[in-house]
Amino acid sequence: MSFASARSRDRGFRVLVVVGLILFVVWSAAPILWLIVSSLMQQQALIVQPPDFSLGNFTLENFTEVIVSAAALGRGILNSFIVALFSTAVALVIGAPAAYALARLAVPRANALAFLVLATQMLPGIAIAIPLFLVISRLGLIDNVLALGLVYLSFNLPIVIWILRGFFLAIPEGIEKAAAVDGAGVVGTFLHIVLPISIPPLGAAAVFAFVEAWNEFFFALILTRQDAQTVPLVIAQFAGQYQTLFGQMMAAAAISIAPVIALAIIFRNQIVRGFADGMMKG
Amino acid sequence: MSQIELRHVDKSFGAVGVCHDINLTVEEGEFVTLLGSSGCGKTTTLNMVAGLEDPSKGDILIGGRRVNDLSPVQRDVAMVFQNYALYPHMTVAENLGFTLKMRKMAKPQIAERVAAVAASLELTPLLERLPSALSGGQQQRVAIGRALVREPRVFLFDEPFSNLDASLRVKMRAEVKQLHQQLGVTTLFVTHDQEEAMSISDRIAVLNRGKVEQFGTPEEIYSRPATRYVARFIGNPQIDLVPGELEPGADGAVLRLAGVALTLPDFVPPPGAGPAVEVGVRPEHVRLTEAGIPAKVQLVQPVGAATHVVLGWEGGDLIASVPGFVHLSVGAAIHFEIDPRHVLVFDAQSGDRLM
Repeated sequence: MSFASARSRDRGFRVLVVVGLILFVVWSAAPILWLIVSSLMQQQALIVQPPDFSLGNFTLENFTEVIVSAAALGRGILNSFIVALFSTAVALVIGAPAAYALARLAVPRANALAFLVLATQMLPGIAIAIPLFLVISRLGLIDNVLALGLVYLSFNLPIVIWILRGFFLAIPEGIEKAAAVDGAGVVGTFLHIVLPISIPPLGAAAVFAFVEAWNEFFFALILTRQDAQTVPLVIAQFAGQYQTLFGQMMAAAAISIAPVIALAIIFRNQIVRGFADGMMKG
Repeated sequence: MSQIELRHVDKSFGAVGVCHDINLTVEEGEFVTLLGSSGCGKTTTLNMVAGLEDPSKGDILIGGRRVNDLSPVQRDVAMVFQNYALYPHMTVAENLGFTLKMRKMAKPQIAERVAAVAASLELTPLLERLPSALSGGQQQRVAIGRALVREPRVFLFDEPFSNLDASLRVKMRAEVKQLHQQLGVTTLFVTHDQEEAMSISDRIAVLNRGKVEQFGTPEEIYSRPATRYVARFIGNPQIDLVPGELEPGADGAVLRLAGVALTLPDFVPPPGAGPAVEVGVRPEHVRLTEAGIPAKVQLVQPVGAATHVVLGWEGGDLIASVPGFVHLSVGAAIHFEIDPRHVLVFDAQSGDRLM
């Protein structure tokens, strides 16, 4: 094969990749775009068939309505922040040492244990909903933000452990041996060497866990009533029995995804590096 | 006292035996190399001395004290790793000072020691850089500096130069040897490169399948290899082995190689040896002559200081190393002689050297 034909085949492949990526971006961005467009439109213009996209129908009214009238949204965002931050932070604090132990220390049957951790994620949510509801209600913790945070922690911990364990396994062992010879014990090696070089996967795991908790709907629905309601529940309430305020609902949704998108942009490099490292070598 | 001693050391991972009954003493201030092909157990042996692996059986002593149950730090050893193993998030200065920080040394003292080591290794201008901004040779220097800064009793090197290009490797080899001459710290060095081992060591332990085949000076290992394995492993080009038969002669013994008879004066084969033997001839002991054993030139490889001529004869192929350049055409008829004083005779079955 000549260089020229290799190059043209290369170009063909690249075109294919670019087309694929464009399709993927459209596929993932279209709902968000639709959400933003419809949050900026008046209800009447939005519900006619086809929607009337003339400039006069665009307005910021939905946002002002939502922000001014719905104190529930503010409380929902605050609750979501609390449960997401709590379940993410604690999952990292507990999950990182656990993942390191499963990756490196002489834990008997470490692989089986790691798999058991993952296996907890294989049960469908509906299967544990009723027992979980019973436990939480007997404890008198229904509609309690911290209880919801603990439930989310139990979902986030296995994910964090799995992401980080994959990364820790990929750290060249020589570095840890060098630390041992240099006089750092297990804890010293973990704190001074392993954690600082694991900032990308820690960031990736954090974002992943945060988004999971932020978006969760089902368990929030059954474990909260009013005070502890999170953003997804507040948004759902815009769908009423007699009419659905699509514009306001979309405005509330746009507000609720903003922090998550901001997080994703801030930690973009970490996320990409973290997942790439963990997955390729894990 | 910083002598290293291994007594009857065994190591197995599960059912797989890696080291078998290793006995080795590195005298104080000595530079000893563990040499062997990959998988022979040399790095495992080094890790056991460092305290990174536990022996399954046997004792390890440093300075006369049994250290089996001591951690790497308590053993007071410093180690240089194959892939440098620098801490990627720390600057050169932090890499060098990490071990002192772990020993809770005061900051000004750490800075002083780091500066001194950096100066001696010409690392001073690089102190604030991260390892990723260093060349391979510079990274290797930092790794050596990290070992030096501690002023340990024992240095351990695990194939430290295998990632460097050839010319840098030779340079670093010389630097490490000079360093050893200056400091006189007991050193255990691991490599698979026989030339490196020859050029750097006071003594070499050749390992094969987890056993020490021979432990001796470079000269002993090269000139009087204990086994066929050692003879083949050491020397470039490799020694040629020719099957032959050993017969008792009038004075000494007679060696028959493919129709050629060599008299080995004053050599009495040990009882039970032979008659089937393998004969090793180093290329520099094959001389091209006017008369002698007839052969044909098969290949001519000039390497500068010498020319390697591959000869085809009745007994197979044999390499002759001739000083300087020789002009021979392939296929030409030629004669050669083997110097019987330098012939190595191995028992064909056991592989042990008889002469």
